Amino acid sequence: MAKLRIVDLTKRFDEVLAVDKLNLEVAEGEFVTLLGPSGCGKTTTLRTIAGFLYPDVGEIFFGDKIMNNVPPNKRNTAMCFQSYALFPHMTVWDNISFGLKMKKIKRQEQKKRVSKVMEMLGIGELAKRKPGELSGGQQQRVALARAIVTEPQILLFDEPLSNLDAKLRVQVRVEIREMQKRLGITTIYVTHDQDEALAISDRIVVMDRGHIEQVADPYTIYRAPETSFVAGFIGLANIFEGTIVARDGNRYTVEAPFGKIVIVSKDTKVSKASKTVKFIWRPEDMNIYTDGAPNRVEGKILQAVFMGNITDIFMDVNGNKMRAQTDESRKLIAGDLIEFSIPETAFSILRR
Amino acid sequence: MVSKDITLKVPLHLIQARRLKHFYLLLTGFFMIILILWVGIPILMAVMWSLVDPKNPWSFPDIFPPSFSLAQWKYVFDYTNIGRALRTSYSLAPLAVFLSLVLSLPTSYVLGRKKIPGEKLFMLVVLLPIIMPGMVVALFLSRVFTAFGLSQTFFGLVLAHTLMSMPYMIRVMTTSFQAIPQDVIDAAENLGANTFVKIRDIFLPMIRPGLLAGMIFAFTVSIEEFNLTFVIGTPTFETIPTILYSFMGYNFIRTNASVVALLMMTPNIIMLFIVERFLKSDYLAASLGKM
Amino acid sequence: MKEKEILPLHFLMLIPGVGFILLFIGSSIFTTLVQSFGLFSITGQSEFTLENWKTILQARESMDSLFFSLKMGFLSSVGTVVVAFPIALFFRKGGTGKGILGSIIKVPLFIPALVAAFLILNLISYHGMVNTVLMRLNLIDEQLRMLNDKFGWGVVFIQIWKNLPFVLLIIMASIASIRDDTIDAARNLGAGYWSILFRMYVPLAMPGILVSMILMFIKAFGDFPIVSVAGPIYPSSMAGRMHIMATIYQEWDQAAVLGVIIIVTAFFVIWAYSRLAELVKGEG
Repeated sequence: MAKLRIVDLTKRFDEVLAVDKLNLEVAEGEFVTLLGPSGCGKTTTLRTIAGFLYPDVGEIFFGDKIMNNVPPNKRNTAMCFQSYALFPHMTVWDNISFGLKMKKIKRQEQKKRVSKVMEMLGIGELAKRKPGELSGGQQQRVALARAIVTEPQILLFDEPLSNLDAKLRVQVRVEIREMQKRLGITTIYVTHDQDEALAISDRIVVMDRGHIEQVADPYTIYRAPETSFVAGFIGLANIFEGTIVARDGNRYTVEAPFGKIVIVSKDTKVSKASKTVKFIWRPEDMNIYTDGAPNRVEGKILQAVFMGNITDIFMDVNGNKMRAQTDESRKLIAGDLIEFSIPETAFSILRR
Repeated sequence: MVSKDITLKVPLHLIQARRLKHFYLLLTGFFMIILILWVGIPILMAVMWSLVDPKNPWSFPDIFPPSFSLAQWKYVFDYTNIGRALRTSYSLAPLAVFLSLVLSLPTSYVLGRKKIPGEKLFMLVVLLPIIMPGMVVALFLSRVFTAFGLSQTFFGLVLAHTLMSMPYMIRVMTTSFQAIPQDVIDAAENLGANTFVKIRDIFLPMIRPGLLAGMIFAFTVSIEEFNLTFVIGTPTFETIPTILYSFMGYNFIRTNASVVALLMMTPNIIMLFIVERFLKSDYLAASLGKM
Repeated sequence: MKEKEILPLHFLMLIPGVGFILLFIGSSIFTTLVQSFGLFSITGQSEFTLENWKTILQARESMDSLFFSLKMGFLSSVGTVVVAFPIALFFRKGGTGKGILGSIIKVPLFIPALVAAFLILNLISYHGMVNTVLMRLNLIDEQLRMLNDKFGWGVVFIQIWKNLPFVLLIIMASIASIRDDTIDAARNLGAGYWSILFRMYVPLAMPGILVSMILMFIKAFGDFPIVSVAGPIYPSSMAGRMHIMATIYQEWDQAAVLGVIIIVTAFFVIWAYSRLAELVKGEG
């Protein structure tokens, strides 16, 4: 029985279709991230799960219970907001115990749970302070504590790390993930930061303009993107379309705009009837050409950006723009000719 | 598939959401009616009373006056001191506004842009004319005025009106001055502006909305001022509020009072529209709320 | 955005504004205080005495007036805030018609207090419209005495009518500072509508509520014109009594005593309201 089931969710705001027939199932204890650019509908979906928005069409199930008509304060979900949304007029302790107070948990029990959570998150000494006196990182932890102390069925995160500086972001996201694993709460996490999504999710739901592009674990999302949007949104990508000249099992000889290549597909996605195929590979998978290496590609360097551990190269291959990344120690400058090889298994074939 | 069965009927949550929207709309409409009555009826009554034909007095059980006439208006202008009161009120107000402006500017500048020790205390002092109970101040200030020969003088009244206008003037202008970003001033200085230029080209234009708001408040405060004027000015001087008061006292003539009330109200209502149009009401709320 | 450097010039610039106010208010309060103890007396000799205080405090009328004025103060301040608060909440979410509603509701703000007194007085007086309509509808047999009534309801109603927009603006500004996120978070954690009202809106809007209550209390407690026009014959308000004492009986020293009592009470109430607000806010 899935912990959370979203069926055909559709939500409109005046003229704009924010979410369009979204379907998703989340298992108990899973950490699922909704990833996408602004306006893709991820926050709308999250708020619908929380109960702040009514679906125009579709249902939300927690287990086998339909939740559409259940108001947000009765859903037993807990949300961490981007702005933390701490109650400015209450102390940290009162903030954290608020949810328990609403559930009419006894004082003694409240005390036990709040203390435990505060210790878990390392904010024990902040109990008597007010939110205005805390740093961003501390406020974040208090917001987290406030959410998990209520032992919710589903934990919701709305871009909780956006307001923290880069270093803190990396540190806190790991803490969030460890906490979640330890407690085993089903979690839905919204972000537009692909690094964050890749780093901490069990599965990533990539969204664009109201619909789902792909749902898969981070490795698959990165290594086997199914659409050009997913390929381009996460990591760097060289995307091309070519004609299938020959095929032998899952080995395709493709005439690409920049030359002839051989793709060994990881799965049989290409139908027998297809004449053309759309594919991508990642710049970092390209290797400096050595004799006998597959898929030789020669181009003129337009720009070579030395970044320390790698050099980012923008090149022109027979009139096609291509990007490569290599740890080649040789100094590379614009105007030089350079040869690369692309491993046959480095490609992903795109659905669209 | 479960979803197909459920979504065939109209979903309950949609009905609920629609009902909620209708409820709010109804509430707003209901509220608007109540509001129009709440505000409109008192004013309407005054208008009707001022138009009662003296030959056909209006009394129970008539809901409306039997006939209308402008006789009362003529009467009030011919036989009472309303003309004098109007002149006094409308000559006091501009003077009070001007004086409070001049006195408030330097103070607001300092309070708004410099960190003064004891700032909170000064702000409190500024608010005293509003906080202190009016009639107490009026009675005993009149004593002081009498001692200095200012009682029953026009100048005394100007001083009194200025006193009451200043808290509003200072508060609004302090907020205005505070709102000017230091960056802008620094940039001006960097480009060679001296004090005079700074005042003329940076400060004055940027505080103009606040200035305007303050002047409108000050003007309104002066027109409506009663306690001080009553004690210090009467009987030598009459302003619209004091003359209205006299019509409501022993010689309560409803019709006279209606005319004067309307006369007193109209410039204010015009002011209301000016304010709504050209200023944000945030100014009013912000400056008062910050107290 | 405050500059650090303070020159003596700056203090000088404070004088026109702050100094002016301090001079006039200060001399007024000083005179009140001092005259209550018999000094600077205009009539007869000036000497320090507690006679005036004794006379006033022993008079039955004084206590009745004080009680009446306190009643006016509390009822007006609490009444206006209680009416304004739900309206402010209603205005929190934008919507159709809110603009027009906003303008209409602001009208009494621009109507001078005396005029407001008259307008309402007109309506609720013995021969006013309300009575006429009620009689015609046969809801009452005899006209109601809503004006100059012993309790003072007429005065309270006028105060609420006149001051509602003023209080509404202040409270609305306070409520506007409450973020939607905060309310969402409370809902999310299980708070029902009553909880949200009393644990979120009221404490967070407390600064505005407090300011309006204080200002309204002082206005209503120390009011002169409205009470003298719409209030009962007996008891008179503190300000009314003080005025008669001074101008009619020429007992300025005793009037001064009443004046001091008014000032002290006003400040005491401000202090008490602030303490109460701290309590409510702290409770959360």
